[in-house]
Amino acid sequence: MIAVEAKNLTKKYKTKTAVDSISLSVEAGELFALLGVNGAGKTTTIRMLSCLSVPTAGEAFVNGHSCLSESEHVKAEIGISPQDTAVAENLTVRENLEFIAKVYGFDRAKTISRTAEMIELFNMSEVENTRAKTLSGGWKRKLSIAMALISEPKVLFLDEPTLGLDVLARRELWKAIEALKGKITIILTTHYMEEAEQLSDRIAIMIGGKIAALGTLSELEQLSGQTGLEGAFVAIAERNGGSHA
Amino acid sequence: MHKITAFTSRNIKEILRDPLSYIFCLGFPLVMLIVMTLVNASIPEQAGMTIFRIDRLSGGIAVFGQTFIMLFTALSVSKDRSGAFLVRMYATPMTSSDFTAGYILPMLAISVVQCVVTYVASFIISLITGVELNLLGMLVSVIALIPSAVMFVGFGLLFGTLFNDKAAPGLCSIIISLGSFLGGIWFDAEATGGVLEKLCKCLPFIYCTKAARAAIAMDFTFDNFWLPVIVVSACAAVVAAVSSVVFRVKMKADLA
Repeated sequence: MIAVEAKNLTKKYKTKTAVDSISLSVEAGELFALLGVNGAGKTTTIRMLSCLSVPTAGEAFVNGHSCLSESEHVKAEIGISPQDTAVAENLTVRENLEFIAKVYGFDRAKTISRTAEMIELFNMSEVENTRAKTLSGGWKRKLSIAMALISEPKVLFLDEPTLGLDVLARRELWKAIEALKGKITIILTTHYMEEAEQLSDRIAIMIGGKIAALGTLSELEQLSGQTGLEGAFVAIAERNGGSHA
Repeated sequence: MHKITAFTSRNIKEILRDPLSYIFCLGFPLVMLIVMTLVNASIPEQAGMTIFRIDRLSGGIAVFGQTFIMLFTALSVSKDRSGAFLVRMYATPMTSSDFTAGYILPMLAISVVQCVVTYVASFIISLITGVELNLLGMLVSVIALIPSAVMFVGFGLLFGTLFNDKAAPGLCSIIISLGSFLGGIWFDAEATGGVLEKLCKCLPFIYCTKAARAAIAMDFTFDNFWLPVIVVSACAAVVAAVSSVVFRVKMKADLA
């Protein structure tokens, strides 16, 4: 079953084309990575898929619902963790989670049980009563992802989930994301090769707003004639005239 | 409704946990109440100046306090807008009406509490200074000031939506200055006459002060109480409606 589908999705800002007619489909339960350098159009793509931006052309669907005409249905079925940690700073970890659960209309019992599940899943019991503003970057990222997950979304969007984290915090977050694999459809953006290689079922390499290549790691290796994602990425980028300005 | 309740609850917690809200929303009006009472004690009786006497001062300070609620509303909204928090919230099923109600309701509740605290302090001062204050009048005044609270919160929502967290407080301070100066809080605007009086009467602030003072004095005549209440209610309805529409338009633009 296709969970997320984009058909010729395009986003233009005045003279700049941020996303240039991309098409992709993501199967339910798949972990799909959008890999590219800064400015490749990854975040803009995720914004269009999560109803946060209206495409200039093309269409996007989540579980068959149009992101344009059925955004209410789509919003009820997705969770998003934006690039910047979007948490309520003066609320504790527990309160942040309960707040999002209540926004989605969970009753008291379900709010409590889902909050407990998220705290356990992300090992946050030691900081559950700590205000978000005093948390480290790693904890904030975990909280941000837990907030995206608490509503039991069918599709989870993670925009650069480990950006700016130290190596230990990154590895720990990877473990949490890996634990979700197969249970939920995840689309993540990253510019870390290792992250895409470690976590993803399939990878779309974005260059200059276009999808330059799409496939599993071995398919990308075969396509580029290189070993490892970094080599494949560089070869595909060079072939497509990509450069990091 | 659950979305509004959840967002309201979050906003109340955010404000109550910010020490600045106590300083500006409670501390500053109370300090002004005490300072102006001391100023009043220094004014000779022969001057016939009653503007800082506690029975007249308390209503003005209550309105003055509401202007800081406007500042806090603007800060809350502009901070949320400048960070990624609202982006996350835009991806939830919350609508623009949920957001505006969620910003306005907690500020109204805080405004009522602020007014009650101001009047309790005023009552204590009245016992010390021997000036009679009518408790029922103060209670009516708390209710009469709800429309002006809506108006100031509406201004806060408007500035917080239109400007960033650096510019919004600056613009609010202009309204604070206008509100306190042309609202007849620090001088008897109606006694000045001329252009200044006309200017004061063209703006809604003086009607807020007038309604609050008339209620405390249990003066429920049309000119002194009902007319100001009607004017302020109309302004509040317009400002609240405009700020809600502007928020919806900006939200739509953010999602474009």
